[in-house]
Amino acid sequence: MKILIVDDFSTMRRIVKNLLRDLGFNNTSEADDGQTALPMLKSGGFDFLVTDWNMPGMDGLTLLREVRADENLSKMPVLMVTAEAKREQIVVAAEAGVNGYVVKPFTAITLKEKINKIFERLEG
Amino acid sequence: MSEKSAEESSYLTDEYISRLKTLSEALESGDETRIHGLVGELTTLRESSLYQELGKITREIHDSINAFGNDERIAELAQEAIPDAKERLSFIVTKTEEAAHKTMEGAEAAMILMDGFSDKAKVLLERWTSFRNRQLSKEEFIVLNDDINGFLDSFGSDSQAVNSQMTDIMLAQDYQDITGQMIKQVVTMVQEVEDKLVRLVTISGAWCSDTNTEKSSGEIAEGPQLPTADQSQVATSQGDVDDILASLGF
Repeated sequence: MKILIVDDFSTMRRIVKNLLRDLGFNNTSEADDGQTALPMLKSGGFDFLVTDWNMPGMDGLTLLREVRADENLSKMPVLMVTAEAKREQIVVAAEAGVNGYVVKPFTAITLKEKINKIFERLEG
Repeated sequence: MSEKSAEESSYLTDEYISRLKTLSEALESGDETRIHGLVGELTTLRESSLYQELGKITREIHDSINAFGNDERIAELAQEAIPDAKERLSFIVTKTEEAAHKTMEGAEAAMILMDGFSDKAKVLLERWTSFRNRQLSKEEFIVLNDDINGFLDSFGSDSQAVNSQMTDIMLAQDYQDITGQMIKQVVTMVQEVEDKLVRLVTISGAWCSDTNTEKSSGEIAEGPQLPTADQSQVATSQGDVDDILASLGF
């Protein structure tokens, strides 16, 4: 399972990376915005995307839409981990096809729950 | 209110009133030439007091704008305080990022050491259990004995290393003091800018209300919300987010 972590803050990438490692996901890569992430995703090999929303360059919502629009990536599970907490934003992300939405600040347990839920749903 | 009506009637000077009285007499006697003359005089009197008022208001506005323009503090704010605040905020971003990394380094190093303890202890416990169940040969026991000794020996130094990582983590929190002070300085500056802007708005006669009603579409990232944000529009916990998603059939 190869996971791409996208966030403009290196500290947040490090936190997510550590938590994923605790969950047994050791194969992770990082990108600091959608513009960097998209070519990495397109070059293949990733199974799961964890992305922030608010980033310079390309934001997470645009990245999510790009992923859904790409025939090779459209089925990729995407978890949004973001400080964006407005009701209408959550609705927009859901409509854009996000698989899970974790609002910052979050706990290790929340992240674990949401990731497990995404995989359960994919398997089921 | 009463002040305003006094100003409005400020053209009712003694001169004006005496002419009004004369006009009333002229009207009674039907002296048309006199009436025309008096009406003309009254109009002139009234116009001149209006011009005076207008002049006064113009001067007040002019003075206010001049005072605003001559306020050296505004130039200082624009040329020094705002760039300085930007620098401080950037410094805060760097400082908090450094502290977060230092904290994580400490935590990661301590976790590796703790994992080592736990792995070693687990293996030793298994072998110790075998020994208690009389499943260990004499040679195996000698090796176990040495390993337990080695474990206890390294425990002291390794736990000291964990302790030192914890101290580093604690010290990394010193950023709060420095950045807290800087943030307070920036808040004071922003307050001052706000006061000046409010004055400018007052002078220009513009209204503050109804200018900021443009609604976000939910498409644009806005960053973290303040705890004071409208609770009906903002998810304040993961539970709220889950509820919203559940209502959409997630």
